[in-house]
Amino acid sequence: MAKKLMKGCEAIAEAAIQAGCRYFFGYPITPQNDIPEYMSLRLPQVGGCFLQAESELAAINMVYGAGGAGARVMTSSSSPGISLKQEGISTIAGAEVPCVIVNMMRGGPGLGNIQASQGDYFQAVKGGGHGDYRSIVIAPSSIQETVDMMPKAFDLADNYRMPVIILADGLIGQMMEPVELHMNPNPTMPEKPWAAQGWDPKGTRPRAIINSLYIETEDLDTLMTRLNARYDVIREKEVMVEKYHTEGAEFILCAYGTVARVCKAAVRILEENGVKAGLVRPITLWPFPTKEVHEVFAQESVKAGLTVEISNGQMVEDIRLAVNGLKPVEYMGKGGSIIPAAEDIAERIMQMRRA
Amino acid sequence: MKDYWVLLGSFGSGKSEIALNMSINAAKAGPCTLVDLDVINPYFRTSERGDVLTPAGVELIMPPYALEKIEIMSLSARVYSAFTPGEGSVFFDIGGDHVGSIALGQYKPYFDRIPDEHKHILFIVNPLRPTAADVDSAWAVLEKIQLVSRLSVTGIVNNGNLAGETDYTHLVEGYELVKGLSEKTGIPVWGTCGTKPVLETFDAYAKEHGLDPTYIGRYEPIEVLMHRSWDKFLNEGL
Repeated sequence: MAKKLMKGCEAIAEAAIQAGCRYFFGYPITPQNDIPEYMSLRLPQVGGCFLQAESELAAINMVYGAGGAGARVMTSSSSPGISLKQEGISTIAGAEVPCVIVNMMRGGPGLGNIQASQGDYFQAVKGGGHGDYRSIVIAPSSIQETVDMMPKAFDLADNYRMPVIILADGLIGQMMEPVELHMNPNPTMPEKPWAAQGWDPKGTRPRAIINSLYIETEDLDTLMTRLNARYDVIREKEVMVEKYHTEGAEFILCAYGTVARVCKAAVRILEENGVKAGLVRPITLWPFPTKEVHEVFAQESVKAGLTVEISNGQMVEDIRLAVNGLKPVEYMGKGGSIIPAAEDIAERIMQMRRA
Repeated sequence: MKDYWVLLGSFGSGKSEIALNMSINAAKAGPCTLVDLDVINPYFRTSERGDVLTPAGVELIMPPYALEKIEIMSLSARVYSAFTPGEGSVFFDIGGDHVGSIALGQYKPYFDRIPDEHKHILFIVNPLRPTAADVDSAWAVLEKIQLVSRLSVTGIVNNGNLAGETDYTHLVEGYELVKGLSEKTGIPVWGTCGTKPVLETFDAYAKEHGLDPTYIGRYEPIEVLMHRSWDKFLNEGL
């Protein structure tokens, strides 16, 4: 299909529909309102259901219900709204229900602002809700990549029966870029024999019970062991990472999302000035590309790394864990939605080089 | 008597870009005011381009909170000053779709007093935007916008574009769309917008293939002013 000019939020919503999503439950918050707005227009056209819930908590519990019944379902929100959904996300993880959650991150704790941010890294990657669970976290850096990732996000959710979070910043949602959609009128859906889709007392299938309550210690331990084994498979098989000009580089930039695009520009500026620099961009933030990051830093040519974020130093912790003291890793960034310019990043590397 | 230009259209049709360019050009000829009546977009607003508007001599009227980046977009009382007698031109940049055009409805009594020859209500069309990509959907948007803005569109504008990847073929697509829309509604095509090189190649194509000048109208060259500061750090794609 030929390219169209689309706003990030619209493109994500359409890509979800093309991936077979027919149910969306949400509650408004800037800067992601264009997702529910688009869904409210499009879902009825494809025989789906859009519902604006009375609150974020209600919306995520509707997602829990639809996902438990086997539907491809999505919700979206922005930082404060995602906080409100955490109880439901933990329940969904505990009940092994697939769903896709989009977080168009905005700045600051509390209500913060409505500009782009990466402040919810810890929340998305390290849990957010209570209990011992993980969500797969995908961090696209362009509208096209977000669109390309949506079918994968739904597949991962279905295959592993768990929440998948698309962690994007407000810029991805609000900017417009030429984008090619992958139209798919009949997306294939996996069988979901575990889903609660009606029970026949005369049939052979046991009752499908969607639940996160396991009172008996042994029962809960069985669940936790099962989840942990699943997480190990995901760590092994589902890591996505982009390496840009890293081979033989002297300095390694680390960034995800839109900031990674700024870093690519910084790499080019540095190369023009005769400095060999590269970028490691985790596309999945969980599972984190620990091995891949380590391999890049283990190269003899690499002197040091710099992690760039629109947050007060979150992903840098995982980068340092991956590098494991092999080389120094510095942090650059701001928490107040101020996106560093490529020139400033390049200048920081030049300073590190002089030191 | 001032000339009034109101730019309407669906989300992403390019209203703000055209408003910036036309107001900067108009300021070369006389007093010019640009009213940012966008109550939709939290990011990428005309008001953010005060840095190019003010030096060009364009007076900018914006919502009180426009640059504070919050979503409660109240309208400035200064908008009424745009309707005072005088010379020059006034441009209204409106948020997308009928939702954005609601902001205009309250000014109907003021627009009613302006003679028709000084009122230019333009409907901007970009066929590369999926929400208004064919004649019927563009027509539906136009009807809804006219209803809530309480204004009648006087001209259709072909602004076929794919941001940084635009070429003349997008204007050819736009030509087919504005032609169909004009035939359906009886509203004339006012003009065709694009950067100078794109307009030149489109013009050559139009002459070679005998496109009807009625549906091309005037050529309105524009310079890309929106998003420029974003290019600095996102220098891929935008």
